Amino acid sequence: MGNLIWHEYARYVALTSVAYSMWAAFWGILYRKYFFDFVHGIVRSPGGVQPAASDSIFITVIVKAPIVQILSMLLAFGYLALDYPAPFLKGSVIHRSFPIRIILLFLQTFLSILYYQGTNAALYSFIAAMCYVRAQVKGEMMADAKDNKGRGGGKA
Amino acid sequence: MGENFFQREFLQPRRLAFNVIFYGLHLFFFAYGWHSQETNKKLSALNALTWSVWTSRGAGLVLAFDGGLILVPMLRNVIRVVRPRLAWLFPADENIWFHRQVAYSMAFWAMVHTTAHYVNFFNVERTQVRPEIALDIHYKQAGGISGHFMLLIMVLMYTTAHHKIRHQCFEAFWYTHHLAFFFMIGLYAHATGCFVRDSPGPDYISSFPFYSTEHCLGYESWRFTIWPGIIYFGERVWREIRARRATRLSKVLVHPSGAMELRIIKPSFKYVAGQWLFIQVPDVSGWQWHPFTITSAPEDPYVSVHIRQVGDWTYALGERVGAGPQVVAAMTKAALKGDEKDDRAYGSRGDFVEIDSTGRALPAVRIDGPYGAPAEDVFNVEVAVLVGAGIGVTPFASILKHIWYRQKKGTLGSLKRVEFFWVCRDAPSFGWFQTLLQEVEAAQADPNFLRINIYLTQKISEDMLWNIAVNDAGAEYDPLTLLRTRTMFGRPDWKSIYARMSQAIQSGQYLPGTSAQLKTTVGTYFCGPGVLAKAIKEATVAAQCSSINFTFAKEHF
Repeated sequence: MGNLIWHEYARYVALTSVAYSMWAAFWGILYRKYFFDFVHGIVRSPGGVQPAASDSIFITVIVKAPIVQILSMLLAFGYLALDYPAPFLKGSVIHRSFPIRIILLFLQTFLSILYYQGTNAALYSFIAAMCYVRAQVKGEMMADAKDNKGRGGGKA
Repeated sequence: MGENFFQREFLQPRRLAFNVIFYGLHLFFFAYGWHSQETNKKLSALNALTWSVWTSRGAGLVLAFDGGLILVPMLRNVIRVVRPRLAWLFPADENIWFHRQVAYSMAFWAMVHTTAHYVNFFNVERTQVRPEIALDIHYKQAGGISGHFMLLIMVLMYTTAHHKIRHQCFEAFWYTHHLAFFFMIGLYAHATGCFVRDSPGPDYISSFPFYSTEHCLGYESWRFTIWPGIIYFGERVWREIRARRATRLSKVLVHPSGAMELRIIKPSFKYVAGQWLFIQVPDVSGWQWHPFTITSAPEDPYVSVHIRQVGDWTYALGERVGAGPQVVAAMTKAALKGDEKDDRAYGSRGDFVEIDSTGRALPAVRIDGPYGAPAEDVFNVEVAVLVGAGIGVTPFASILKHIWYRQKKGTLGSLKRVEFFWVCRDAPSFGWFQTLLQEVEAAQADPNFLRINIYLTQKISEDMLWNIAVNDAGAEYDPLTLLRTRTMFGRPDWKSIYARMSQAIQSGQYLPGTSAQLKTTVGTYFCGPGVLAKAIKEATVAAQCSSINFTFAKEHF
């Protein structure tokens, strides 16, 4: 039944993870919370976890202004354009590059693990990145002529 | 394709009924779940969380419904037993399609449910309605942990089940899909821990189910959803037991076209024509079950399947039985050479070679099945139109053989005539099937009972055209298929085929002896790609008239 082509599989996981990221980031903007606030924080009733002063930098970019969430969402849209792919990127050099995808997915992992809603997005992005790493290690290539269904001749 | 989303989903009565009932039930459960949470006085503390808790409870109930449904279409043996009685109610062969619809719906409602819970736990922590923080609920309580696990399992299962991945690497799909076991455990465990309660802490008791329904106020949906899971598990155990019953691979025949025929003897295996089975060869893989159409008739003393060596597993099987690709290639070559020397009117394409099993014993095999197909009821119609396209022709091997046996015994039921259509890109690759057709054709006493129509859709080169033109003229047998029936080229025009058939039946030429008052049923049995199925179905609908009832059934793999 053939062998798994890792980059084709990775694409589905990656697209799932970016869809999750977009949705998570959207809710992350509405309900802002730093994921690791429990580390040095204290619990107040009512009010929940009060993060420690040493985490103030994260509070600034996640709770006071949802910068991380917005970046995560933009990154997710950018990644979607790259890997879906958007028509103008199709077949271009960046579209064929696995390292770019791996870097973007790791960046997404880093960004989305920081805010409360992004944990699963981070996990799935990480899995997708690992699948692309595997594709890269195995020396897989994006097929150029895939769109003309294997018929030779003109490029897409 | 020719129809848009609206036409496909709403303008076909059956599809419309499905959509209304299926999605209607989803919306009903959502609304009910929402309403019963919102109006529950005991849960007023939780209701302070407002819309998010109502949404999560509603979506949770919908997910319980989906979780109960997801395994139902996979109860293959149950479906096989109930299908003759319930075939009118639901298309039993669309079970995988239904499984997918439930899965899509499950993904959507999981999104709704999870989103709502993220808001819930955020607010629980903020208001401290329960003395815990959000991450405790997410990662320290049964509900949260099982939920996150189920989501991860869903990501893995859905992505590997994509049709591209499934075709590329069936194993990836097959093994990953068994994560369903853990998914179901997660589902049944998801509401444990007395999650929905009117008390700040969970209220556990020492007897089953270990929580008091006094204070634990969940929907208790596991009491319903667990049954399909138990039945499915039981079915898998039963399949395992059944597969272990005495089975012997008695013969391996290699046809010159490269197909291997496995003849298996299993006395406990009962089936009807047109069904299929799963086969496992422990020497090749101890876990994998591969589906194949049964090509023997129930009257045969053995069960046979024809296997072409096209994938990893089938290659490995070929190697194991001593009919690897090289062997087959050599044999094909030899057969072709012999063919050229042969001066008989029709060649030796039908000859097969039995694999010599003196060197190494034939491998053990296990078979599981049989599983259903609509072609079981060919004998209830007056005219059976059997259409096989490409590889979809295989179930008709068994059916044609079976018809032939019944014809000999004179127990054809109401069946008067059989029209067999074989639409195929290149007929020679199905040499073994031609052999069978030859036998069946040669055995016909009544030339009108069985008509074989072969359509070759491949583009033919100029050389071939000349060959056919010269060799075909006046020859007793068709040069391509070695049948008496002529091969036709190009795609069949279904509309005119059915129109002509309808006309011939009405004028009484087609079925001599049937009076026009009696309603004639023309049953079409199709196996092959969906596009063709649609074209044929449309043709049957167009040919419908007062005295002739055209039915259509499609088989799936």
